Amino acid sequence: MRTRGAEDPGAGLGREALAYVDTLHNLARYLTGNETDAEDLVQETYARALKAADQFTPGTNLKAWLFRILRNTFLSSYRRQRASPLVGGLDTVDPAHQGVADEAWLRDDVELDRLRKLVAEEIEAALLTLSEEGRTVILLDLEGLTETEAAQVLGCAVGTVKSRLARARSALRQRLKDYAR
Amino acid sequence: MDCETVRLHLHADQRGHLGPELHRALRTHLEGCPACTHEEAAEHVLTEVLERRLPQHPASLALKRRLLAQWPAAPVESRPWWRGWRRALVPALASALVLAVGLPLYHELWSGARGDATAMVAEAVNDHVRVLQRDRPLDVESGGIHEVKPWFAGRLDFAPVVSFEGDAEFPLQGGALGYFVDRKAAVFVYKRRLHPVSLFVFRAEGLPWPARGLTPIGGAAGYTSVSRGFNVILWRAGDLGYALVSDVDARELGRLAAKLARG
Repeated sequence: MRTRGAEDPGAGLGREALAYVDTLHNLARYLTGNETDAEDLVQETYARALKAADQFTPGTNLKAWLFRILRNTFLSSYRRQRASPLVGGLDTVDPAHQGVADEAWLRDDVELDRLRKLVAEEIEAALLTLSEEGRTVILLDLEGLTETEAAQVLGCAVGTVKSRLARARSALRQRLKDYAR
Repeated sequence: MDCETVRLHLHADQRGHLGPELHRALRTHLEGCPACTHEEAAEHVLTEVLERRLPQHPASLALKRRLLAQWPAAPVESRPWWRGWRRALVPALASALVLAVGLPLYHELWSGARGDATAMVAEAVNDHVRVLQRDRPLDVESGGIHEVKPWFAGRLDFAPVVSFEGDAEFPLQGGALGYFVDRKAAVFVYKRRLHPVSLFVFRAEGLPWPARGLTPIGGAAGYTSVSRGFNVILWRAGDLGYALVSDVDARELGRLAAKLARG
């Protein structure tokens, strides 16, 4: 007896992998900054996932596994093609060194209320000013990945995820300040 | 625990990812540190803003179709005596699988399940209540549709298409700037006796529009539902989406929707 699974390595991955296409595309869109590259990146991600299907362990987090492939594909194939102004962005600065005055803008209800009134385009624009690492870690967190899962995606220690996320969110707040005034 | 350490852990604490010991130490620090308490509030707001308003970019239907077509089918047992028939059977099996498994799966995953419609309806009710709870629900009082519509110019990145000027049954009260899910919306407020009726007009793309349970309303296909005592009707026309919400009788709301969707 023989199965088609033996011929198609991706068959063992299951069609549930396709259920993550929207969330993968969303990350791809924020990484590449445009629709065409995002579609190519997602397609390439699924192609690589099929080829590497035997490396996926059933019962582990499929979503995190796909995110990791997407990010690695982006780093190896796309980022090199562009001289990205986003590397080394504001979120690479330790928030502890940003000064008290910069933090004070969110410290009353009026400013918090201004932040709540930001529109989608302003938030998107602010997020796109962050470095690739900053955008990715914020989006992974919004997708509900735990720090451990995000560490698997990013290929770093859990503590590094925590500090990167704190830096990225702090930098995002600094950017949003410009829109909220 | 010092302020720097607390701030590093604030977000993880809000996500419920901290262990009990670290959580207690953090809460103890917050009780005596106004600066970190403000920081915690700001973190809350940032999360709320990101979760509610950051635009999402779902994959296009074309990409989904391509991926579905390229994805290998589920394992299918074959027997040795099939070998001679494989050339004929494999394409037939593939077609049957696409029809029997792929299309229902595709429909279920991406065509707007009932749960999505429920979320759209709940959002419409929330936005309606939010508008009514403002100190001044209307940003512009009505002097007629040709005063209300121009008021939105420069405040939105689209032109709201609404031609119904109001009548004795449903007089137009005015307009306001609002939100629908993650995007700005033009809000037109009509009235039926003492009941306010909100019409939200917004960009339609990227939202999980219901694909089932649609009925003809004016010139459009509408989705009618009830949530928390409010009647809601959703429909699309071109690039724009419409959500009509009120506590008036469902038939009366349907009449207004027909007037609005007539174009």
